[in-house]
Amino acid sequence: MSGNKRIMKEFADIQKDPPPGCIIKLLNEEDMNVWDVVMDGPADSPYTGGKFTVQVTLPKEYPFKPPVLSFRTKVYHPNVTNDERGAMCLGMLKADEWKPPNKIAEVLRLVRAVLAAPQPDDAVESGIAEQFKNDNKSYEKVAKEWTAKYAK
Amino acid sequence: MAHQASGMSDDDMAALQKLSDDFQPEISGPLVGQREPSTAITAEYASADPVFQAKTASLPQKYSHYRKMRGDGKCGWRAIAFGYFEALIHFGNENKFVEEEARLRSLHNVVNNAGYSPYLYEDFADAVFDILRKLSVSLQIGNAEELLLESFNDETEQNYVITYFKTLTCSWMKAREGDYAPWLPGQSVTAFVDSQVMPIGSEIENVSMSALKDVLLSPASIQLEVLYLDRTDGVEPNMHRFDPQNSAHPIIGSIRLLYRPGHYDIVYKTEDVPQSTTSVQTYLQYHNETHNEPVMDLGMSDFMTMIPGMSYAGPQQSWLPGAGYGYSDYLASPPASMPALVESPELQSRTQSMYIPTPRTQMVPPSDEMPQDMDIRSDHHEETQPHFSGQSQTSPFRSSYYQFEPGFVSATSHVPFKTAIFKNSHFNTAHFLNPDFQPEEWRPEDEPMLMTNHSKGGRHNSFG
Repeated sequence: MSGNKRIMKEFADIQKDPPPGCIIKLLNEEDMNVWDVVMDGPADSPYTGGKFTVQVTLPKEYPFKPPVLSFRTKVYHPNVTNDERGAMCLGMLKADEWKPPNKIAEVLRLVRAVLAAPQPDDAVESGIAEQFKNDNKSYEKVAKEWTAKYAK
Repeated sequence: MAHQASGMSDDDMAALQKLSDDFQPEISGPLVGQREPSTAITAEYASADPVFQAKTASLPQKYSHYRKMRGDGKCGWRAIAFGYFEALIHFGNENKFVEEEARLRSLHNVVNNAGYSPYLYEDFADAVFDILRKLSVSLQIGNAEELLLESFNDETEQNYVITYFKTLTCSWMKAREGDYAPWLPGQSVTAFVDSQVMPIGSEIENVSMSALKDVLLSPASIQLEVLYLDRTDGVEPNMHRFDPQNSAHPIIGSIRLLYRPGHYDIVYKTEDVPQSTTSVQTYLQYHNETHNEPVMDLGMSDFMTMIPGMSYAGPQQSWLPGAGYGYSDYLASPPASMPALVESPELQSRTQSMYIPTPRTQMVPPSDEMPQDMDIRSDHHEETQPHFSGQSQTSPFRSSYYQFEPGFVSATSHVPFKTAIFKNSHFNTAHFLNPDFQPEEWRPEDEPMLMTNHSKGGRHNSFG
């Protein structure tokens, strides 16, 4: 219950002042716990021009458990799993490292920053991470293709 | 490697490590358990290595009870948070709860300056204020402790409380960076609080504990002690007391933690535990020990002078060998001795005493809880039996000063007195301190009246 109060406050806040390049809605008007975020690909990255859908699921224990992020749009990125889940592995989203005063808006800002600047040392897709480090040109090429193909 | 430095073989080390690994804090069970006798900890370590055995064996002597925290990595924060509210309950002043809420609210400037948005932390704060208000009200009803236990076993509610206290700790550390930075070599206070205090899975450690104590406990005049139960030499757990900064004010309570590597529980001294769970019966004291009895130290002699007729009796008590009637007997409740008074007029008439002592065997209310004392009592009973047949030297009644003078003759008469107060005072010529001391005479026809006096004077009689 009190978790909902917090979520409602955050939702109201994020509507007033959304993080740059993000449009946030509820996936389903009935459910405050699943947010649907459409994020513009950051400029100066292979993702420019793409629109990425990210689903943010807030556990019922929120804010004492971290939100779960999932890319609904396929994205070629070292830090996003190349599967159905499209999970992005961020340190701040680990159960033990989550801080209750963190806001979802901050999480989304960070997601966009990681999209622009991949962290190959923290990768979940080691193949893409290797390519990013050793053959950045090819990485950028594939990422652009995927953006054009899936993120329209 | 540490074990090489201590000269242990790998096998020894492995064995000790195994024992250490065997200690599993409860990861199921209630978040905060009931208060239990600390002998349970001793039992838990009965088969551990000797150092732990010795340390846990000595534990219950000083710390009678303990309370188990769930070992889920938040036990330290939880134990202090719980202890904070519990100390306020134990202090028992409703205003203190109001004061605390006002004080915490006044800290919100510090929290804002540290960069936390009010709209995020106010939820956490409200949970704490709700508990403070709830407890303040329940103090009168007497169910404060149950309510607190209930709140802390609601995981969400507890998370709010812990997060609020973490927020306060972080804010305080950021505001007083100079105080804490020296303890955090190689990292800034901000980096430390972000990475090691605020994250949900971060357990308390020394610096954050010290900061929590500074912001939450010391200003509330609550003291924090930590007992370290580890394998260092010694027969008792090492105790570290975080002294309140504010030592000018009296302490209203103490939080005592028992630390075993990786885990905190709360321990209690007897005085921290509500009366109902203790069974100390100080009036069961006998014979020579009377002089060492704790009540003597509590200004008992002042108290004595308030009793009519008692003004000079106290100091003379101690030189009488075998004077078995102590202050404690005096405190014993008379009802148990009443039947004896009815039975013993004959006995009283034969002895010199003008006051009507009761045989000590009836002075002490029977106790089921202290069988040893029961034994002692029955010993006395046998030993004092002879006086019932008139041997005044071993009389159960305390001897008078004059009884020890040569030529002392037992009084054979009684003079009835109007009131017990007068009878027991030195204004009574029959009192041995009266300059015109004249022993009472006993006359058979006075007998019924004496009996009345006996029962009235029953409480005072052992101090003739």
